[in-house]
Amino acid sequence: MLAIVNARLITVADGIIENGAVLLKDKRIVSLGRDIAIPDNCRKIDAIGRPVTPGLIDAHTHAGISEHGIDWAGNDTNEGTNPVNPFCRVKDGINMKDRAFDKLRKAGITCIGVLPGSSNILGGAGLALKCTGIIVDEAIVKDPIGIKAALGENPKKCYGKNNQSPATRMGNAAVLRESLLKAKQYLEKKQSSKEPALDMKWEALLPVIKKEIPLFIHCHRHDDIVTAVRICREFDVRFALEHVTDGHLIADFLKKHQVHCAVGPTLYYGSKVENRDRSFKTPVQFDRKKIPFCFITDHPVVDARNLALTAGMAVQWGMSEESALRAITLGSAEHIGINDRVGSLEAGKDADLVIWSGNPLEFTSFADMTIINGDTVYERGNRPCY
Amino acid sequence: MLLAVRGAKIYTGRGDIIEKGMLLAGDDGKILDVGQDTAVPDNAEILDLEGRVIIPGLIDAHTHVGIWGDGEGEPSQDSNEWIDPVTAGVSALNGVNPLHNSFEGAREGGITTVQILPGSVNPVGGLCFACKTAGSIIDDMVIKNPTGLKGAMGENPKWAHGQMQKKAPASRMGIAAAIREFFLRAGEYKVKKNRAMEKGEFFETDIRMESGLMVLDRKIPFRVHAHRHDDIATALRICGEFAIDCSIEHCTDGYLIADYLGKKNTVAMVGPGLSSSSKLETAGFSDENAVILSRHGVKTCLITDHPFLNCRYFLAYASIVHKYGLSLQDTLRAITLSPAEALGIEERTGSLEVGKDADFAVLGGEPFTLKGRVESTFIEGKCVWRRKLY
Repeated sequence: MLAIVNARLITVADGIIENGAVLLKDKRIVSLGRDIAIPDNCRKIDAIGRPVTPGLIDAHTHAGISEHGIDWAGNDTNEGTNPVNPFCRVKDGINMKDRAFDKLRKAGITCIGVLPGSSNILGGAGLALKCTGIIVDEAIVKDPIGIKAALGENPKKCYGKNNQSPATRMGNAAVLRESLLKAKQYLEKKQSSKEPALDMKWEALLPVIKKEIPLFIHCHRHDDIVTAVRICREFDVRFALEHVTDGHLIADFLKKHQVHCAVGPTLYYGSKVENRDRSFKTPVQFDRKKIPFCFITDHPVVDARNLALTAGMAVQWGMSEESALRAITLGSAEHIGINDRVGSLEAGKDADLVIWSGNPLEFTSFADMTIINGDTVYERGNRPCY
Repeated sequence: MLLAVRGAKIYTGRGDIIEKGMLLAGDDGKILDVGQDTAVPDNAEILDLEGRVIIPGLIDAHTHVGIWGDGEGEPSQDSNEWIDPVTAGVSALNGVNPLHNSFEGAREGGITTVQILPGSVNPVGGLCFACKTAGSIIDDMVIKNPTGLKGAMGENPKWAHGQMQKKAPASRMGIAAAIREFFLRAGEYKVKKNRAMEKGEFFETDIRMESGLMVLDRKIPFRVHAHRHDDIATALRICGEFAIDCSIEHCTDGYLIADYLGKKNTVAMVGPGLSSSSKLETAGFSDENAVILSRHGVKTCLITDHPFLNCRYFLAYASIVHKYGLSLQDTLRAITLSPAEALGIEERTGSLEVGKDADFAVLGGEPFTLKGRVESTFIEGKCVWRRKLY
C-alpha cells in the first residue's frame, strides 16, 4: 500500500485536485481526493505540492522492435517480404531490454502501443504494454489492440521499387480491399463448412471482420486518409488512423466520420513527400473541432522522450494545456482501447502515475518519479542519461 | 525609417538584462542604441512590446537549410556530391534554394543566421557559408563565404562509398587516409604554387586544392562530422598533424572525452538535439552532452542539423539543454554569440550591441518556457516572420 500525499493531482478525467492524496493498493488506485482515509501503516510519499499525473501513454511506437542504436540487427519492425502479413504479431519481436524502455520510464511514459511498421498493407497485430519487466507476456495490457495497415508511400516503396505489387496508391487500395474481401469470404466458408481448411492469413483478420478489434491505418496525405475511410466504411470494419499529417485539410470530413486519430510524429523531418505538411495545425484544429485525437512519437522515428515536449509545443500553437495533456494520456488510452485501465487518475484504474518537478508540459520539467502498477520504476537521481 | 522597440525585457546576449529596455534600429538595419527606455527620436516608428522578451536573433551554425529537401524526396537533395569521396571544390552556396520553405521554418524558429554545410557522406565534402534567413537571392543574404570546409568521419562515408558504391573508403581507416592524403596534396600544391608565384611562372589553379589551401593557411577551419568518441579523437589527431583549425560537428560522444576536448580548446557543434539513436555511432546520445562539454571549457554551440531536427524547433532543443543544467545565459549564448564567434561573424551578429545588425527574436515570455514562444523575428530591423495561431 502506498499513498502519495500533498500533491497537485491532475486527474485528466475530472479536473485538478490541489493538496490531494492518492492511495494505491494491489496495483490499482483505491481512492483519491482531498480528504481520503489513509491507513496508518501505509507508506507515504510527500509530493510537496508537485503535480501528479496519470502515466503518459504513447499510442504508436516501435519500442523494443526497432532498437536503440543497433541498426538492422535490432530492427524487426517490418516483415517486408509480403504485403499481406496480418498474422505477424509484434509480441514475437519485442526486446524488453531495448534501451528505449529506460528512456520511456524516465520520460514519465508508463504504457505504450507497439505496432508493426508500415511497409506492408497489412503488417500484423499490435499490442499495448506497460514499460516495465523483461518478459513481454507479463507486460501486456491488451493484445491485440488491432491490426496495422498502411497506405501511401511506404508499401509502394517497399514493393513497387522491386517491381512487385503494390506499386501505386491504386495498388495499395486494391490489396487492402482484396484482403478484407477474402477474409470476409473465409469467415462465411468457415461458418458454413463442417471442416473448414485453416488459412492463417485470413484467420488473423477475423477479429477485424467481426468488429472485435480495429485496423490502425498509416496514412499521411489527405487522399490516403480519405481512401482509408472509404475502404473501412465499405467493409464496415472498425478503424483508427495513424499519423494523419494532412488532417487539418479535411477536418470537417474527419469530424463527420468521428474517426479517432493518432497525430504525429510532428517533430520529425520531411523524410518523404507524404509527410511534407507536418505542423501543429492538425492537432490544434482537431481539438477545436472536437475530433478525438492523441499525440504519438512513432518512437524511434521521434524519440518517445519528446512526447510531453510535443504536447507543450501544441500549447505554444494555441491548444489548451488540458487538451494537450489529455492527448498524451486518456486520449492515447482511448485510441488503443485501454482507457478502462489507464489514462487518468480514477479509483479502480491501474496505479500508473508520475510525480513531476513542475508543470508536466513545461520543457524544463522532469519526471521526478514514475510509478507503474504501484511500483516505483524510475526515480530521478544524478545518474547520467542517454 | 528608424525603428524603436520599446518596453520589452532585453537579453543582450552578452550576459546583460535590461528590464523595460529600448532597441533603436537605423535605416541601414544596424543597432543605433540599446539600453534603458528613454526618449525616442521623433522620426522613429514605435513598436510597443511591453511584457515581451527580446533575445538576439538565433544562429544555427550547422544546417542544410535550402539545400536538403523537406518532404520533397530525392530531387531536392543537393547537399552531397556523393560520387567522389573528396569533393573539396564544391560549395554549398551553389546548391541552396533561398525560397525554400526551410528558410521560413528558420524564421519561425527565431533564427536569423544559419551556416549551410554540405552533407556528411564525403570525407572532404565542400565549402560552407553563413547567411541571413530572409531574401530571394542567396548572394545578397550571405554574411561570410566560405566559413569552412566540411569533412566527415564514421558511418556515413563508409556507408555511401564502401557499402553503396563498393569503393574506398570502406572503413574508418580509409576515411582518415583519404583526408590525410587530401591535406598532404594541398601542402604540395602550396609549395608548387608559391614557387611558381616567386618565379612569375604560369600555375594551373586547382579548385579542390584551393579549398585545402585555405584550410592549411588557417583562413577557414575544417568542420568535421564526428559522432563517436574515437572519430572525434581521429579528427583532432589529423587536424593536429596539419596544424589546422577545426570544429567538431555533432560531437555526440563528446561528454565521454570532455576533459580531452577541453584541453585541446575544441569547438563543438552539438546536435541535432531531441534525437533518437537509430545508428550505432549515435547510440551514446545524451541530452546532457552540451552541459558536460561546457563545464569542461569546450566552446559549445547548439545546432539543429536541419532538416534532421527541423530548425523551427531550435528553441525547444535549447530548452532541453537548459533543463539538464546549462544556465539560462550560457544556453542563450550557445545559440547566439558562441556560434557567431565560431563562424567569425561576431562583428555583425550574435548579440544586441550598437553597430551590429538589428537581428532579434521577440518571445512571449522568458526563454525556454511555454510562454516564451517566438512571436516574431526581425532581421536588420525588419519583421520577417510573425506568429499567427492555428
